[in-house]
Amino acid sequence: MSMIECRGLTKVFGGTKALNNFTCEINENTITGLIGRNGAGKTTLLKIIAGYHQQTSGEIKVFSEEPFNNLTVSANMIFVHDQLNLPTALNLQEILDVMAGFYKNWDRELAHRLFDYFSFHPMQYYNGLSKGMKSTFNMILGLAARTPLTIFDEPTTGMDAAVRKDFYRALLKDYIAYPRTIILSSHHLDEIEDLLEDILVVKQGQELLHMPIAELREYAIGLEGKNALVKEWTKDREIIFSKNGAFDQSYVVVRNDFSESELYQAELAGIEILPVSSSDVCVYLTSKTKGGIDDVFNKG
Amino acid sequence: MSLTKVSLSEIVRQQYVYKLKAFIQVFMSLVFVQIIAILFSQGGSGMMGSGGGLIDLEVHYYSADVVVAFTMLWGFITAILITTKAYRNDDFIFVTNRISSNLSNMLFLLTASVIGGITSMMSTYLVKIIIALFKGDHFINSSAASAPSVGLFFGICATILYIFLFCSLGYLVGTVVQLSRVFAFALPVVFVGGLFFDGMRGQAGIIESLFTFFFMENSFVLFIFKILFTVCLSFSAAFILSNRMEVKP
Repeated sequence: MSMIECRGLTKVFGGTKALNNFTCEINENTITGLIGRNGAGKTTLLKIIAGYHQQTSGEIKVFSEEPFNNLTVSANMIFVHDQLNLPTALNLQEILDVMAGFYKNWDRELAHRLFDYFSFHPMQYYNGLSKGMKSTFNMILGLAARTPLTIFDEPTTGMDAAVRKDFYRALLKDYIAYPRTIILSSHHLDEIEDLLEDILVVKQGQELLHMPIAELREYAIGLEGKNALVKEWTKDREIIFSKNGAFDQSYVVVRNDFSESELYQAELAGIEILPVSSSDVCVYLTSKTKGGIDDVFNKG
Repeated sequence: MSLTKVSLSEIVRQQYVYKLKAFIQVFMSLVFVQIIAILFSQGGSGMMGSGGGLIDLEVHYYSADVVVAFTMLWGFITAILITTKAYRNDDFIFVTNRISSNLSNMLFLLTASVIGGITSMMSTYLVKIIIALFKGDHFINSSAASAPSVGLFFGICATILYIFLFCSLGYLVGTVVQLSRVFAFALPVVFVGGLFFDGMRGQAGIIESLFTFFFMENSFVLFIFKILFTVCLSFSAAFILSNRMEVKP
């Protein structure tokens, strides 16, 4: 069953299209990673799902209902982002109590244990926390709310490496115990890769890829060797990325539609076949030009 | 995971309880405003003097009018304050839609008006005590004001309604300003400019007739209707205007 359905979703902000005819479907009880470059429209998409923004055109259904101004969607969804501004007059313990009042599935026990683990003090105020501590506290809110739809928009901003690891582990453990639909947007695909089931890549307001993460690992391969040789082997193939190195060497990433024997022959011809990590694939796919930053500096 | 169903009234109740706790600063500022107003009241609200021969007579009137006026202003500003992003966006972390958020704001403002109304009327006694202790050579207390009476009760009701009226106007102004920043400049210009314009023409304009409409009403029942009608009008306008408003950081 699909939890979220978007069809032809478009959102215009002052003349620019943050989302451009966006169509996707997110299934119930999956962890989906939302990947895209800065300004690709990730946050806009999440805000429309959360009912914060209203789409300019197109259709969106969350739990088969329109999310904008919808109490049911609001009660069954929590949207954690790094600009969360929590009431300044309440201390952390009071904020947790208020959350418990609003969210029916709120897990006091879990919230309390995480609160202690990350050594928060109940009398602290949210505004007095550091950036990383704020993110950590937001994460507690997101996990303990146990809403059928949980959205984390760049949840690890400012967290140190240890806390990030803890967060991913906590998320996975809680997801296994209480399966629900989780959307996780992040810049660090290599970190969350093991956590995700599906991946949704957004580029310039449109869906670029939406597939199980396992498929993405096989999506592309890299060929490295002499210029002419590589050129010949990648002819008529979908080139994702190419880079010319020194000494007549070049490195080209292409869509992996080679057969076993073809790969074998390529290796015999003197081309090195390299696997491409999914986070690299995403970087290559979402970059605007084929050559990357090098092209800016290579004038000739 | 199954969906939970919530009702609007339940959420409004939750939000109201939450707001009483979270907007506590509003009541701190009420205390502050009223203390200042009580100090200002020591100047007296009227004075009459006459003399002849050996007798020199001066009568000073003292009242809590200044406190009530300040509290109305406080209501207006409080209402604007809770329409600002910092307060409005707080609701969206919890369960809400625009209607429930507006309704709980209205209930909160009503509560604030009741508290503001009662405290400002009660401050009359504080003003009197201060005068009696520190100022007056002879303190003449009118019989009507000497003990709590029906008059005091009506006074409190009227004050509450006035403050609530200002809250509702402030809420509408705040909402309009949230729609477009232009109004933050345009509204004061129209209001103050209107006052000046009337002054230059030398005749009663719309602002003065509005003042007469609300503050010079002799019939209490008619007064209640006038206020409630205006309050309903400005809150519904604010509700309709904010119902399509997006949440922006």
